[in-house]
Amino acid sequence: MSRCDFKIVLLGSEHVGKTSLVLRFVNCRFNGGTPYQNTIGAAFCAKTMQSNGKDFNIGIWDTAGSERYEAMTRMYYRGAHAAIVCYEPSSLESWARLRHWLQELRTVEEECKVYLCGTKKDLLDAGAVTREVPEDIVATYSQGHRGHFLTSSKTGENVDELFQKIVDDCAADMRLMKNVEELRLQLMKDEAIYKSKRKDFCSC
Amino acid sequence: MEDVLDEVVSSEDLQKFEKVFHEQLHQGKVTHKAQFEYAWCLVRSRYPTDIRKGILLLKELFNSHPDGKRDYLFYLAIGNARIKEYNKALHYVKAFLEIEPANQQVLALERQINKRMEKEGLIGMAVAGGAVLALGGLVGLGIALASKK
Repeated sequence: MSRCDFKIVLLGSEHVGKTSLVLRFVNCRFNGGTPYQNTIGAAFCAKTMQSNGKDFNIGIWDTAGSERYEAMTRMYYRGAHAAIVCYEPSSLESWARLRHWLQELRTVEEECKVYLCGTKKDLLDAGAVTREVPEDIVATYSQGHRGHFLTSSKTGENVDELFQKIVDDCAADMRLMKNVEELRLQLMKDEAIYKSKRKDFCSC
Repeated sequence: MEDVLDEVVSSEDLQKFEKVFHEQLHQGKVTHKAQFEYAWCLVRSRYPTDIRKGILLLKELFNSHPDGKRDYLFYLAIGNARIKEYNKALHYVKAFLEIEPANQQVLALERQINKRMEKEGLIGMAVAGGAVLALGGLVGLGIALASKK
């Protein structure tokens, strides 16, 4: 059993497309045909990624955007190394909520690397929706964070780039990497103990 | 790899929501929200007694609050799977999929439950096999002892 090296959490208002982003990244797929289903609590996905020739297990907690779950989704921020905070450029409301999510995150996990993500780029490009959140405001605001990405889960544009940047940043973080190595060692020790215990159990 | 069935609630979180629930209980009026939040923590506890308690609270909610049906079904499935009541867990999964047949979260949960059943089924057989061998050994020993006398 291998634990995750990096924990990434996704936050953002309901219906901005957090789950679609994760599914595009993990399965390389966009399911336009299925009707919208709001996430219950939090969903988990994992993927192995490379940075600098090394493998890392990435665990992604896709939290529910619905306010109904808010008290509990906070629990999933804990221990997160990186957070993707999503908004829809065509919705000022989702941008206003983004600040709220950032505050929430800061109270729980201060050290977490934060990435802003504007979703549904394809709709914006096609002119199907109009931009409500001014680009200069986004640019100013993202300076205080690790980066800003405008993604499309439908076409896949910038999705891999976003996750690759996160993994590269995490892998370059010496302090974080020290913890990752320690955890890996601990896990190997635990596994050895577990195996020897099982042996005891079987022989009696 | 960790997943929704392995993930465990921290004791602080459990206590926090337990406190809210009990305060409301003392005042004689428990909200659906408080009960659901407490139950959510309970089914993610590492202790089976907590999980069972969470399942009871969720069943009560399921019967009294139709609006939250999908939440309750989902966590009923998780709770039951965590105490290895896989058939019950799959029953709740099925009930959920009748309402939302394409729900990715629930389909993923179904796959996880099936995977665990498969894995533990094999382990179960190995243990049973071991028991048969042990029993065989004992019988053999008995025969050997009896023939010595």
